[in-house]
Amino acid sequence: MAKYTIKRLLQSAVTVLIVVTIVFLLLRLLPTDYYFTEDQLMKFTDQQKHDALEAAGLLDSPGKQLIHFYGRLLHFDLGESRRIQHGVAVTKVIGSKFTVSMRLGMISMAISLVIGVSMGIIQARFKDKIPDYIGTVYTIFVNAVPGLVSYSLVLIFGSRVLGLPSMYSTRKATESSILPIVCLAMTSIAYYALWTRRYMVDEINKDYIKLARVKGMSTKTIMVKHVLRNAFVPLAQYIPASLLLTISGSLLVERFFSVPGMGPLLTDAINRYDTNVVQALVMLYASLGIIGVFLGDILMMIFDPRITLVDKGGTR
Amino acid sequence: MRKSVSKMVAVVAAAALVLSGCGGGSGQSTQGTTAGSQDTQSTTAAGSAPETTAAPVSDTEPIKDMVTYETQNREVETFNILYSQSATDLQVLTNMYEGLLSNDPKGQLVPALAEEWGTEDGGLTWTFKLRQGVKWVDINGNEKADCNAQDFITGLEWILNYHKNSSANTSMPMELIKGASEYYEYTKSLSAEEATTMDNSKFLEMVGIAAPDDYTLVYTCITEKPYFDTVTTYNCLYPAPKALIDELGVEGFIAMNNENMWYNGAYTMTSYIQGNEKIFTKNESYWDKDCSLFDTVTVKMVESTDVAYQLYQSGELDNTILTESNLNTIYNSTSNEFHDQLVEMRPTKYSFQIHFNYDKRNEDGSVDTNWNTAIANTAFRQAWYYGLDLTAWYGRTNSINPLKCENNAYTMQGLITFSDGTEYSKYIEQQLGIKDYDGENMRRIDKDKAAELKAQAMEELSAQGVTFPVGVDYYIAASNQTQLDSALVLQQAFSDSLGDDFVVLNIKTYVSSLVKEVREPRLHSFVINGWGADYGDPQNYLGQEVYGEDNAYYSANYSNANDLTEGEIVDIYKEYSELVAKANAINDDLDARYKAYAEAEVYFIQNALAIPCYYNIQWQLTRVNDYSKINAMYGIQNNKYKNWETSVDAYTTEQYDAIAKAYEEGTAN
Amino acid sequence: MEDNKQINEEELFSFVEYSPEEAERIGYSDYSYWKSVFQSFLKKKAAVALTVIFFALVIFSFIALAIGKYDYKALVPDSKLAFIKPNGEYWFGTDNLGRDYWCQVWYAAQTSIKLAVLVAFGECFVGITIGCIWGYVRRLDRVFTEIYNVINNIPTIIYMTLIALMIGQSFFIMSVSLIAFGWLTMARNVRNLVIMYRDREYNLASRCLGTSIGRILVKNIFPYLISVVILRLALSIPGTITLESTLSYLGLGLGIDTPSLGILLRNARSYFLDYPYLLIFPAVIVSVITITFYLIGNAFSDAADPRNHV
Repeated sequence: MAKYTIKRLLQSAVTVLIVVTIVFLLLRLLPTDYYFTEDQLMKFTDQQKHDALEAAGLLDSPGKQLIHFYGRLLHFDLGESRRIQHGVAVTKVIGSKFTVSMRLGMISMAISLVIGVSMGIIQARFKDKIPDYIGTVYTIFVNAVPGLVSYSLVLIFGSRVLGLPSMYSTRKATESSILPIVCLAMTSIAYYALWTRRYMVDEINKDYIKLARVKGMSTKTIMVKHVLRNAFVPLAQYIPASLLLTISGSLLVERFFSVPGMGPLLTDAINRYDTNVVQALVMLYASLGIIGVFLGDILMMIFDPRITLVDKGGTR
Repeated sequence: MRKSVSKMVAVVAAAALVLSGCGGGSGQSTQGTTAGSQDTQSTTAAGSAPETTAAPVSDTEPIKDMVTYETQNREVETFNILYSQSATDLQVLTNMYEGLLSNDPKGQLVPALAEEWGTEDGGLTWTFKLRQGVKWVDINGNEKADCNAQDFITGLEWILNYHKNSSANTSMPMELIKGASEYYEYTKSLSAEEATTMDNSKFLEMVGIAAPDDYTLVYTCITEKPYFDTVTTYNCLYPAPKALIDELGVEGFIAMNNENMWYNGAYTMTSYIQGNEKIFTKNESYWDKDCSLFDTVTVKMVESTDVAYQLYQSGELDNTILTESNLNTIYNSTSNEFHDQLVEMRPTKYSFQIHFNYDKRNEDGSVDTNWNTAIANTAFRQAWYYGLDLTAWYGRTNSINPLKCENNAYTMQGLITFSDGTEYSKYIEQQLGIKDYDGENMRRIDKDKAAELKAQAMEELSAQGVTFPVGVDYYIAASNQTQLDSALVLQQAFSDSLGDDFVVLNIKTYVSSLVKEVREPRLHSFVINGWGADYGDPQNYLGQEVYGEDNAYYSANYSNANDLTEGEIVDIYKEYSELVAKANAINDDLDARYKAYAEAEVYFIQNALAIPCYYNIQWQLTRVNDYSKINAMYGIQNNKYKNWETSVDAYTTEQYDAIAKAYEEGTAN
Repeated sequence: MEDNKQINEEELFSFVEYSPEEAERIGYSDYSYWKSVFQSFLKKKAAVALTVIFFALVIFSFIALAIGKYDYKALVPDSKLAFIKPNGEYWFGTDNLGRDYWCQVWYAAQTSIKLAVLVAFGECFVGITIGCIWGYVRRLDRVFTEIYNVINNIPTIIYMTLIALMIGQSFFIMSVSLIAFGWLTMARNVRNLVIMYRDREYNLASRCLGTSIGRILVKNIFPYLISVVILRLALSIPGTITLESTLSYLGLGLGIDTPSLGILLRNARSYFLDYPYLLIFPAVIVSVITITFYLIGNAFSDAADPRNHV
């Protein structure tokens, strides 16, 4: 197991490096004019542009820049932001934002796990009966209406009718977090309910459940001890990754409620050609994603001891 | 010390003739002193209290804690004012830093850190007498150091040092100050190590800046620059505290934030949450003890103007700009709670023009002869000038009074005032014979003349082999719905007013960079671009259009007029350039200088080398009297939360109209 | 399940006349897969009804454009006509520029449906092909897993921005790029299933008898994939519409000359408090498409599972 873990972590490190390298090179494909604002382009002479780029080391060949980048990476130096917060270390930029996203994300995830999974259980328990239909209608509705629209509706309804703050504020963090959390949870409740139901229904049809039923076990025991436990295994695989990636926040929700989190950071960094920030974020998300999958496998193994990673390592 | 002050007054007194004459001094500002009197410089130095426009609503209760907003894409990128070049940053930073001079609500220069200033030699050397007792404070308002002439030297050195400021903000100092370019080149030749550790003896030796004592600052210009004082309202001549740079180090000073920076401006920023909120708190050590400041100003970052409107409705904001649809909804419903609170904003400081391209290419790189031949024809351009009715298009910006957006001058209104108080752009309009505003038709439109010119152009050009209708390529950003909507309205305006047999507007798109994708390959027939002034002189506008000058922004980049070699159009451009050069040579009499510029500008517009297009005037709901805000057409002073008149009850349309009227009468005097 | 079993049992006990064709059919166990699929599917009345509704919607979008009083291509902005509520002249009202909303909505619906269907099928085609190879050829597993990890770990927004900047924005570019990054999930699902069924005994037997890889994949394994594939396909269509609206919000969507429901929804956000009809019409169409595909997908995937046939 230890050997497997090490091997897999090394593999993951390679993957992350490849990802970062590709993104690094992709960003260097852009014309250098994109590094300037329209204001700057208007008043800069060509010489000034040249000087500014040269000072930022952006005129070197991509290969040289890449080597420089790796060199700094060895010292855990991700460089400075150019436009998000000029001259500030990228780690600092990210450091000030991720806790907010993570807090909202964790709370909404806890809520949606509880509600979503229970909803899925109830739906599976009463398959093709009224609770199932209600659940299905909710799932479909949430999936059918684009976030752009449903978040706007929550915002308007929440602030106009319920009088909740429509803007996140650190001074009234609890109160002002309600609407963003509702928006975040709304979609993930549907997600967990959908898949819990799906896996449970699949499980209910299996022979061993039928046997248990024949043996006269109560429906409740079957549902909780057997069906749910087995149905939760594939779901467990996704939980660590989703938990870790709550750090990345949600673009639309954070924009709409002005949450000072990570959600809009990636798009903002791309739009402003703040390459160091983009690289750092990509590296962070890729690492977390890969670690998340790995932890998911372990969690799956805990839920279902039949699964062993060492033997099946190659098939994942 | 006392001696040098009295000497200084003498210098200023001599200079005041020039200054008050050009309107660059504070001659017309406040306190009822008559324009042109020699002692205005020293009397107004005590401070400015612009209560001239207060009359209509002075009895309302003012706001103590202001709450305003900004959209999320306009977040500050740096707290280092020497580095920033974007309006988004500077409108925030102007509250935290103070420079030599500032402006008043009428755009006139007023003293800030400099109590007195002047030039004796027509603008070659400028002497600024600094205020004593100004302090740098930290975020909590604790005094850290004195702010004196050395800080201005440190600031300018920082900007011109290639290794410190990566060439940001260098253009104006290099254009104006003696030795600035040379010093910049010199630092470029040094290693980063050397450039960031050396002392400033080399700088003082090379560059035309000197501090005879700690409270006197002397700048030497390359040539006579009668408008140099207006440049000091810009951040490129702002001070920087040496002690702070020593404390934070060069890297740390570049990356400083609201918590470790030092302030010498009206407010300190006590809370900054990126993408969410900024809170400014009154700086108790601010030099101007008589001015009115808010206790706090909160700036919320919102997703869009629509969200701002909602926050305004729930009382969480003190002002909001209205989108087209919100404006129409409120305007058309008399029962709407905001119906009688609609308030027209003042124009932004950009003067928009239709800039033609005289050397247009097709997308395959070949020369678009059809367009180039047509646009070189004076009657063709003049047919646009007299015929193109943009009313519907103005309605996209201002659907209630679209015609208020009409712009008939090239230089921004409010930038220049003659010594008799005449506003420069009004003078241009008089010279051009533009009608008065009647709210019904565009003032310059002359349908008959346009029809005549159109017929003439079609006849002349057909003979030259031009095929009609002439295709006009207009580029917009591919992802911008607002631009598309406006472009569609513009297309319709072309069709309605110029006729489909004459020209046809083709809307084309670029993905992300107008410069890279359109301007450099020269694909545009025209662009609509706004120019905001860098300093208070017509040269800043008219100089961009002169022929054969690489630094002329529009001739070199947009109209490509510099590449024209033959034909009547070249003669027109040369004539215009001569007029501008002649005006620029007049340094001793500012009225004469402006008159000469006006002559060039009128010639330019009559020949329709570019066509004045619009001012950006929107509508809002507000508890702030915009006419009490600093309103200069250049510099970075405008968004200073200083001496703002406010009212806890939103202003009504009626009140605002009265304020506007009083303001205009005030300026006319 | 229960029903099927009873039918089978009844069949077991009925006598059949000799027929060479029938013998052939049983001999090669060549029951018609697709026929069974459709038969099971047709039994689900709700799903059938929704399918009819969907096709009706598509057909109607053409009719709607034909019978509308205004031609999309010939729309002219006129601020005097802005924000007219739906009436006899403007069936869906007018937008902020005073243009007929009816023809815009239907034109956009066509674009969105075209895009979603094209992307869904593109994803399927690429996803299944690569998924099969990935799952079946052991040596390639590592390579494909790495490619998957790399592509999957670069945020979509980066690709979309770079593509928009460097190539441009159009219907074609959009669909190709969505396919290029959308096939991953499908391929992984397919690959997992292929690995599960690859080494089943019947496939071993088949291989021993000399069946080609292609035939094993297509005839022996593919039927097991259908239900998963169809579910993915059905979820991909609303997914594409949602993604497109988010990308439009960020300015990375289709070019402005191709209106989509996503773009209409984005624009309507600014007006919908005062003029709710601008939001309602496109939102309803999006919802109908999504719900239809979701339910059809579920029903069809149940019907496509061969375990429910024999």
